[in-house]
Amino acid sequence: MGIVACTRCTKAWPFGTQICGRCGHKMVSRDFGSLQRVWAFWVMGLMCYVPANLYPMLQTKTLFQKDESTIISGAVELAQHGAFGIAFIILLASVVIPLAKFWAIAFLAISVKSSKMASNHARHFMYEIVEYIGRWSMIDIFVVAILSSLVQLKTLATINPGPASMFFALSVIFTMLSAQAFDSRMIWDDQARDGDSV
Amino acid sequence: MGTPFKMTDTPPDVSIKSARKIFLSGASIVWIIPLLALLVALGVAWNSYNARGPEIYVEFEKGAGIKAGETELRYRDVTVGRVEAVGFSRGLGKVVATIRVDKDVAPYIDNSAAFWIVQPEVSAKGITGLSTVLSGVYIEGSWNDEIGTFENRFSGADSAPLIRAGQNGLQIAFRTVGNGQLTDDAPILYRGIEVGRLGKAEIAPLGNFAIVEALIYEEHRNLINTSTRFWESSGFSVSIGPSGAEIDFQSIATLIGGGVTFDTFVSGGGRVQDGTVFEIFSSKEEARSAVFNSSAVDPLELSVIFDENVSGLAVGAAVELSGLNIGQVEALSGIVDYDQFGDSRVRLNVTLSIQPARLGLPGEVSAESALEFLQDRVANGLRARLASASLLTGGLKVELVTVEGAPTARLVAAPDGLPVMPTTKNETSDAAATVEGVFTRINNLPIEELLNSAIALMNSAQSFIGSDELQQTPKDVRTLINEVTGLVASDSVQNIPVTLNATLSRVEALVATLEQEQMARRLMDAVDAVSGAADAFTSSTEGVPELITEMQAVAAKAGEIELQQLVDELTALTRSADAVIGTPDAIALPGSLKNALDELNYTLQELREGGAVENVNQTLASARNAADNIAVSAKDLPQIVDRLSSLFNQASRTIQGYDQGEQISRTAQETLRDIQKAADALASLARTIERNPNSLLLGR
Repeated sequence: MGIVACTRCTKAWPFGTQICGRCGHKMVSRDFGSLQRVWAFWVMGLMCYVPANLYPMLQTKTLFQKDESTIISGAVELAQHGAFGIAFIILLASVVIPLAKFWAIAFLAISVKSSKMASNHARHFMYEIVEYIGRWSMIDIFVVAILSSLVQLKTLATINPGPASMFFALSVIFTMLSAQAFDSRMIWDDQARDGDSV
Repeated sequence: MGTPFKMTDTPPDVSIKSARKIFLSGASIVWIIPLLALLVALGVAWNSYNARGPEIYVEFEKGAGIKAGETELRYRDVTVGRVEAVGFSRGLGKVVATIRVDKDVAPYIDNSAAFWIVQPEVSAKGITGLSTVLSGVYIEGSWNDEIGTFENRFSGADSAPLIRAGQNGLQIAFRTVGNGQLTDDAPILYRGIEVGRLGKAEIAPLGNFAIVEALIYEEHRNLINTSTRFWESSGFSVSIGPSGAEIDFQSIATLIGGGVTFDTFVSGGGRVQDGTVFEIFSSKEEARSAVFNSSAVDPLELSVIFDENVSGLAVGAAVELSGLNIGQVEALSGIVDYDQFGDSRVRLNVTLSIQPARLGLPGEVSAESALEFLQDRVANGLRARLASASLLTGGLKVELVTVEGAPTARLVAAPDGLPVMPTTKNETSDAAATVEGVFTRINNLPIEELLNSAIALMNSAQSFIGSDELQQTPKDVRTLINEVTGLVASDSVQNIPVTLNATLSRVEALVATLEQEQMARRLMDAVDAVSGAADAFTSSTEGVPELITEMQAVAAKAGEIELQQLVDELTALTRSADAVIGTPDAIALPGSLKNALDELNYTLQELREGGAVENVNQTLASARNAADNIAVSAKDLPQIVDRLSSLFNQASRTIQGYDQGEQISRTAQETLRDIQKAADALASLARTIERNPNSLLLGR
């Protein structure tokens, strides 16, 4: 016997309630498809992340040359010009954070099965961070969008988003979906299995 | 369990079922998304792989700005591929560009394909590849429009080939022997319009000429036929002529970069096939003169070793056979060969380049046939010798002459060199002798004598012309005519008939008397007197009838014949005299003399200006002719004088018949004297003319 909270409107209902009486959402105590969705979106995110790093993110055409830079080469170029701060931010936002997200989601999804890896609190904190910080990865896309809309001087200088920008955006979106698909309640399920009361 | 739910109660424990470990049976529908993505990715990958063409590898001497991933391969200025990698061939000998070509174009890239790098180029002929300044170089490919066996290794060029595959036009080649100034890509101009282009000039394998490919554009193909001759129009020519100085050049481009132009001087040339080789001449004149001397075959090269090392032979000197130019001296060098000649003297080794076509051999014209011909001729005594080409410059030429009784020799090809032509004694010494002889003969000319004679001639002529006799001649003649006229018109002569009439009347009266008196004797005397002198007319009065008839006959004779004859003869005399004066000869006499002097003067002048012996001979001939003319003119004078003399004698005889006629006799005698004087003057004129020209003109 227990109660189950609606995941949409958070109203608690007695266990076994199929549909939330307030918002009409389908009520499940544990989303058994959650991990599958996590993994599916995770794979999609990872698939998109590969071309996002291989293809050029930004196509800069000036009068004399055409420059295409991927995310990493752009950051390296900025660093070579002395803009270490910006290069660090770009690297952080576009490489470190997504990679960390992939790792974190994968870790969370795996740790649901075997809880010995980290404490439940730590895992939950990790989940919170992933959820919160995931959206900031889009900063790269914003930069590209703003630059390419601002710098359109015909033949003199033109900046266009490269194919990588779309893949990167998709990658971010899918990792966010993946993170959202994770049912954080499962973090605590093994605690119950171990006999700890909630 | 079963207890109703209360908010205040502690939530009951919930039996937690662990999530089932289902992977496929309970697979979420969300997996479709990555699967779809995977399918799409695979599809795109497969499509991309399927659509991409093969790789080709093009080797270049230099990279010239090729960048992997950027440099494009273009065909007709359309991108059909991209350089994927730039590397080196084994041993770093060449740059190898790996080019991914489009799949639809790839089948056409067969062994006809050519590749070159297009980069900006600034030359006298203009700027090309300007677009590559900004965009960077690209690789241009060219291949024909037929699908062939695919190849993937090519050798690229640094610059565009002259003839691109699939391009139409007449492909010919030029050969140039001299020091031409052919530059690559020079235009072929015709009437100032570019109708073709030269390719890259190359040296022939044997090194004896340069050969360059050329393309005549398709639309100008008909301008070329087999009798077309090409010459260089590069640089500029300066000519100074009667119309002033002229500087001529075709265009700035040809001035700097050179060019070739052509013309067809004679009609009847045949169609030109691709691959025909033309010769490039250095000037239009040379090209024109070479129209009839086709030299489309390789020249025959011969070596000649002259014992005497004579200066004056230069590269380019003519090689003549029977006076016909059949080639030229190609090279000169010294040769020392103790083994062959027995001493260490330096000999003159001349390389001749003979144009087989100029020999006019029947059948195939080739260097081999020319060599055979010359070998045959050498066996019959054909030898090479040096001869003077010009007396003024002292230049030499090589003559091939047939020497009778020459020691046997053969024209054989040395194992490691050119066939050696046997030689004979040079003609150069003869030439020197000729020149010397000419000068000696000029020197030996009796110029001073001639001048002295001329001066004497002129003096004589002057004195002759200025002589009183000559000056008197017309006067005398005029006087003669006047006097003759006067004689004819004189009362005495006019009165002759009257007198005769009177005489006859008297004679008639006398006859009447004589008839009566029968005084034949006296009548005879009287008739004699009448016949001899005028006294008889007056003294004798008696007459006899027999005598009357005689007298009548005499009178008739005297009246009808003699007097008439006298008058006629006098008239003839006058006419003759007139004719003498009026004869073109006499009138032309001073003119002839003047002409003679002019001719002499001209001759002398010519001689002074360095004329040849012929001129002197001509002068002498002219002088002789002049003398002859004068002699001819003068020759007539004695005849005239003779005629005058005979005339006068006749007249004298006639008039003597009337000796007794005092008036007639007197007048006639005066006339005769005058006439005699005139005749004398004419005779002396004739003598003078006859004597002087010979002595003066001939100087002896």
